Amino acid sequence: MSSEQNGGSPSQPDAPPDAPASGPRTLAEDLRARDDSALAALLRARPDLLSPVPGDLTQLATRAGTRASVVRALEQLDQFTLQTAEALAVTPAAPPPSGGGRPRQGTTAVREALAELLPGEEAAERLPQALAELRARALVWGPAQHPRLLRTARELLTSPSPTGLGPALVEVVAAAGPAKPSPSRLQEMLARVGLPGTHDPVSALSALTALFNDSERMAALLAEAPEGAEAVLRKLEWGPPYGAVDLEAPSPPVAWLLDRALLVPTGAEPGGGQSAPGSVVLPREVALQLRGGRAHRVLEPTAPPVAVARTYQAPTVDATAAGQAMTAVATVEELLGRWEAEPPPVLRAGGLGVRDLKRTAAALDLPEPAAAFWIELAYAAGLVASDGEVDEAYAPTPAYDEWLRATPAERWATLVVAWYRATRTAGLVGEGHPALERGREWGKDARGRGPAPLGPGLDRSPAPEVRQRALRLLAELAPGSAPDRDTLRERLRWERPLLGNRAAARATEQGAADGGQELRTRLLNWALDEAETLGVTGRGALASYVRPLVDAEAEEPHGPRASQETDTTRAAVAQALAPHLPEPLSEVLLQADLTAVAPGPLERDLAAFLGVLADVESKGGATVYRFTPESVRRALDTGRTAADLHAFLDAHSSTPVPQPLTYLIDDVARRHGQLRVGAASSYVRCDDDALLAEILADRRSAPLRLRKLAPTVLASPAPPDQLLARLREMGYAPAAESAEGDVLLARAAAHRTPPRTAPEPVPEGPPAPDSALLTAAVRAIRAGDHAATLPLSAGPDRQAPWADRRKAPSAPPPEGGLPRTVMAETLATMQSATLSGTAVWIGYVNADGAASQRVIAPVKVEGGFVTGYDHTADEVRTYPLHRITGAAEVTEA
Amino acid sequence: MNGGPLIVQSDKTLLLEVDHELAEACRRAIAPFAELERAPEHMHTYRVTPLGLWNARAAGHDAEQVVDALVEYARYPVPHALLVDIAETMARYGRLALSKHPTHGLVLESSDRPVLEEVLRSKKIQPLVGERIDPDTVVVHPSERGQIKQALLKLGWPAEDLAGYVDGEAHRIALEEDGWALRPYQQQAVEGFWHGGSGVVVLPCGAGKTLVGAGSMAKAQATTLILVTNTVSARQWKHELVRRTSLTEEEIGEYSGTKKEIRPVTIATYQVITTKRKGVYPHLELFDSRDWGLIVYDEVHLLPAPVFKFTADLQARRRLGLTATLVREDGRESDVFSLIGPKRFDAPWKEIENQGYIAPADCVEVRVSLTDSERLAYATAEPEEKYRFCATTDSKRRVTEALVRRHAGEQTLVIGQYIDQLDELGEHIGAPVIKGDTSNAQREKLFDAFRAGELSCLVVSKVANFSIDLPEATVAIQVSGTFGSRQEEAQRLGRVLRPKADGHEARFYSVVARDTIDQDFAAHRQRFLAEQGYAYRIVDSVDLLGEPDEV
Repeated sequence: MSSEQNGGSPSQPDAPPDAPASGPRTLAEDLRARDDSALAALLRARPDLLSPVPGDLTQLATRAGTRASVVRALEQLDQFTLQTAEALAVTPAAPPPSGGGRPRQGTTAVREALAELLPGEEAAERLPQALAELRARALVWGPAQHPRLLRTARELLTSPSPTGLGPALVEVVAAAGPAKPSPSRLQEMLARVGLPGTHDPVSALSALTALFNDSERMAALLAEAPEGAEAVLRKLEWGPPYGAVDLEAPSPPVAWLLDRALLVPTGAEPGGGQSAPGSVVLPREVALQLRGGRAHRVLEPTAPPVAVARTYQAPTVDATAAGQAMTAVATVEELLGRWEAEPPPVLRAGGLGVRDLKRTAAALDLPEPAAAFWIELAYAAGLVASDGEVDEAYAPTPAYDEWLRATPAERWATLVVAWYRATRTAGLVGEGHPALERGREWGKDARGRGPAPLGPGLDRSPAPEVRQRALRLLAELAPGSAPDRDTLRERLRWERPLLGNRAAARATEQGAADGGQELRTRLLNWALDEAETLGVTGRGALASYVRPLVDAEAEEPHGPRASQETDTTRAAVAQALAPHLPEPLSEVLLQADLTAVAPGPLERDLAAFLGVLADVESKGGATVYRFTPESVRRALDTGRTAADLHAFLDAHSSTPVPQPLTYLIDDVARRHGQLRVGAASSYVRCDDDALLAEILADRRSAPLRLRKLAPTVLASPAPPDQLLARLREMGYAPAAESAEGDVLLARAAAHRTPPRTAPEPVPEGPPAPDSALLTAAVRAIRAGDHAATLPLSAGPDRQAPWADRRKAPSAPPPEGGLPRTVMAETLATMQSATLSGTAVWIGYVNADGAASQRVIAPVKVEGGFVTGYDHTADEVRTYPLHRITGAAEVTEA
Repeated sequence: MNGGPLIVQSDKTLLLEVDHELAEACRRAIAPFAELERAPEHMHTYRVTPLGLWNARAAGHDAEQVVDALVEYARYPVPHALLVDIAETMARYGRLALSKHPTHGLVLESSDRPVLEEVLRSKKIQPLVGERIDPDTVVVHPSERGQIKQALLKLGWPAEDLAGYVDGEAHRIALEEDGWALRPYQQQAVEGFWHGGSGVVVLPCGAGKTLVGAGSMAKAQATTLILVTNTVSARQWKHELVRRTSLTEEEIGEYSGTKKEIRPVTIATYQVITTKRKGVYPHLELFDSRDWGLIVYDEVHLLPAPVFKFTADLQARRRLGLTATLVREDGRESDVFSLIGPKRFDAPWKEIENQGYIAPADCVEVRVSLTDSERLAYATAEPEEKYRFCATTDSKRRVTEALVRRHAGEQTLVIGQYIDQLDELGEHIGAPVIKGDTSNAQREKLFDAFRAGELSCLVVSKVANFSIDLPEATVAIQVSGTFGSRQEEAQRLGRVLRPKADGHEARFYSVVARDTIDQDFAAHRQRFLAEQGYAYRIVDSVDLLGEPDEV
């Protein structure tokens, strides 16, 4: 491979040495030489070069050479242009290794080599156009006789080459690594093919290459081949050019081929080769000889025609499609009308749940995939979205209200324009659902489900292009022609052979439910089915009123568009469709079997009210309504009177209103509202209506908001006790009444709980003293008493407030302060005191850090605590050992 | 939009605008495959069902014709999916066929092997078939011919029965058209039936179904078994056959509760053949007692379930079903289709009325307000007693009496369900009552007197629902019925629809208690008539009689 650069520096090392002096030496130079319109064309064809806008042509050239951009550009090529590029990638005119001598093709123009690779008259005719196309996209540059393929494109198209051709002999040998034939081996090979020896490997390879390029000598050489050798070559002829053979012990034909460099070892480890997929490769020159110089097995210079499967009368097509268009608008309206009342929740992972899809499908009386399509369509048109609440749900957007106000034709145009450009593909939903029998074929998530409608993973970027191309192809057919789907698919493949591959690969990487059938084919099938459902086509042929859309888009194929332009398209489509839609009617046929038939679409208001007054029984071109007592009642509930209903029917019936219907309305009206229901918390009942009138007239009763239900009954929203209290305040003597009507005896309110158990005590302090403790306490009291009688020998105890009440303890600590002993001694003192039942002096520091002295009779020493009778406090207490500074036995005097 | 008279709905109903200039042509085009469901004054509703489409296939129509008819007459474009569905449904008929194999006898053949594989895997089919002769043919035991047809229909793969019929024992029968002739539609019905081999002819009450039966017998020229609903009806068939054909009294036998005659033409009642003793049907031998060439089922819509079972065994004989409506309250229309045969002829009620063969009728529902005490009693009645109570109130009786008085001098029938009510009415009006325990002799005597005009009013219970022929009844007053039976309503209306000598318009009153379950049942019954184009007027009893209900 050469080291072609696309920079603008004039000192580029890869400037083609054979280029005429006047020719450009780099792509940048080539671009510099193009006029503005050509550059504009380049940028239009490859819009990705524009973001961001390159600073200069060098930058533009560099960007045009990036891999991502080239891949994108290749996707936009048709089959023949792509084949041209593929052939160009394998022309021996590949720029020679830098520093190499004059190339062999110095005299043969690349252009001619290319023509040889692409044989046939049609190809020859189309070749200039294909090259121009490639040039316009900056995939090819350089002089006309020596077109040069962009390096990145060459790499993409040779690793491996879609033509099935392997690398050239020189490249094969160079890449062979350890398996590279030694110079002596090369000389041996030269001898085998009957060529004179050379001095160095390079010239040896040149000589071999020249032999391989010479068809006459090659034919002679191959004629000598042993049996089986040709079969081996033929196997690799059309690619892949790699084969696996046992190099250690090759079979005789293979050995023969290897000896003549007709097969070259690649140096790849068997089974795990890093550089080549097989252990031997067929050099490109040899393969081309075998192929008779053709780069492609099937060269497709011309687009396959789209066959017409059936032709219908154009009016029939339009009428059928328009009927579907009506259905489409009605279906979306019905769907969203349902969702506005019961918004379905959004799944946590996004999208609509299986159950909600099922329910919606059942409500619309459609299979689930069809329902998914309408849901996605409404979404694409911006008519429905997630409401973003905490309990997220899908609901119609404000745009829906606007949409509802538009005419049916405009509504349809909105839907169809959205559909035309949407990358979301509802078809994936249908594929994924286990309900479909072929379910398991496609890769799916663990539960065997495809993506949820409205959820993530439904975008397929090639979808709009497939859709638009398909419709454009339909538009090219004579009006009323329904295409044969297979030929349409073929044509689409020819036009964009690489389209969709990248998206499919990406989707597979993301683990989406793709794979199986080619994405493009599925997209096409969905597009055509959806077009029929939407009324874009009728019986498979394009409806005439869609042409404004197809034409508008054809001028500026795909890509974001100004909204103004969209509006124009939408208006044009709506205008074209309008004459095909039936005029809304303002009259219905009323019949004696209590049905009304609207023999076509009704005016909105009429339809809305008739929907209240009668139940819809059947839908379609016409609508059948049935009047029932319930439906008439519903209408009366909206506040209309029987007279209103009669007037309404009179006004909108093209025939006299049948007697049974009139009778039905009167009959229901007669009973409507006979029973009245309301809410009240309490009532006042009295046989004397004068008294009730008096209460009602009394201003003090105003807060009770009393209402006269009947001459003898008043009702109030206030609770009964308030009512009673207020009436008493007003000087009346009301009696409370039970639900059964008995007078409740007035008793002082003695409120009781239901039976309850007393709370279990949760003791915090020590348990109640048992007899042992009490004995100890008594003993301690005695001891304390003794202590009290001891003579005071120490100074005044500043810590002892009890000194006021009783005499201070008579056994002061040794040093006059707190007793201080080590812990072990304290413990021993305590324990012996417990056993002996004697009292001890202790020094104690409480939680606040205040120190005090106490005389206690310990009862228990346990778990770091001492429990005993505190003579000082006159009660049983528990002290933590670690707070006791020391202990001393109370010595009796 | 081509402004056609037909609107195709998404639920596969077809709406036909009758006032449209192309309506008649369109009706003829869609009649073979669509069932007329409702025929009110402006828009007739037809329904396209698989059964209807298969009926059409059986009658020799193909999907192309059906689709063309829809596309030609439809006002709005027909949804493509619907057309596809029609074509697919129709294509299901005839993939399987029952035929006679020269060596193996009855076989099920398939022109589509996967379909045969599919049905043979069904548990319902497996016990009915025998050995597989070749990949496309399987043996069927002749006795399972009916069952397999029923089962296949349920699977959605109706079999075409090409196995043919036995001729039966030949017997000379000819129509004696002296001074009368088969009406054109009767002639068409006979032709349609004979061409199809077996099947059902749908004609309104009073349109002369007996003559279609007679005409078919004359075609068959073979011994015939006629199954009718009851003895009175059997006598009338006999009477009519003697009058209209070359058959003599001696050639016609009656096989009923009282007589057990088996003659070349035998008329049997459903009741007697479905009588079960000790778990067996003792009268089944009737079917085998002769080599019948034709079996006629009168009132197919009433065919009791056991008769279907017997019929399943009679698939080798020609079968003619006669009925006023294919509506069965038990929904067994598909059994009629698979066992007796597809619909072979059908003429809407109104059309025959327009031709003057049946009398026009004025249907009036008289709403009676109950008295307060009756309303209270009704409100507290047990649920199962409610209908009986409101249907037999005194208020209704008074209104009925007033109606009878108003039509004094016209031939009037009072029809009801409850014997007590009828007895009481009979007493008040002074008219004889015919009910279940009235002897046949007495019945015929009363009918004769009524026919002769000696009696102008008869009170009848539901025994008279079927097949009695009272040509001069011009007024029928219905006071109670079998709940909401639509088919009973049609029968009762049929009582007054026979053409009147003076072309007088018939009156059909339903006396209904307001705001009760009686009213709901009446609404349900009337729906059938309203759908047949007989619009009910609803009148308050007070308005009708011009005076308060009080006597």
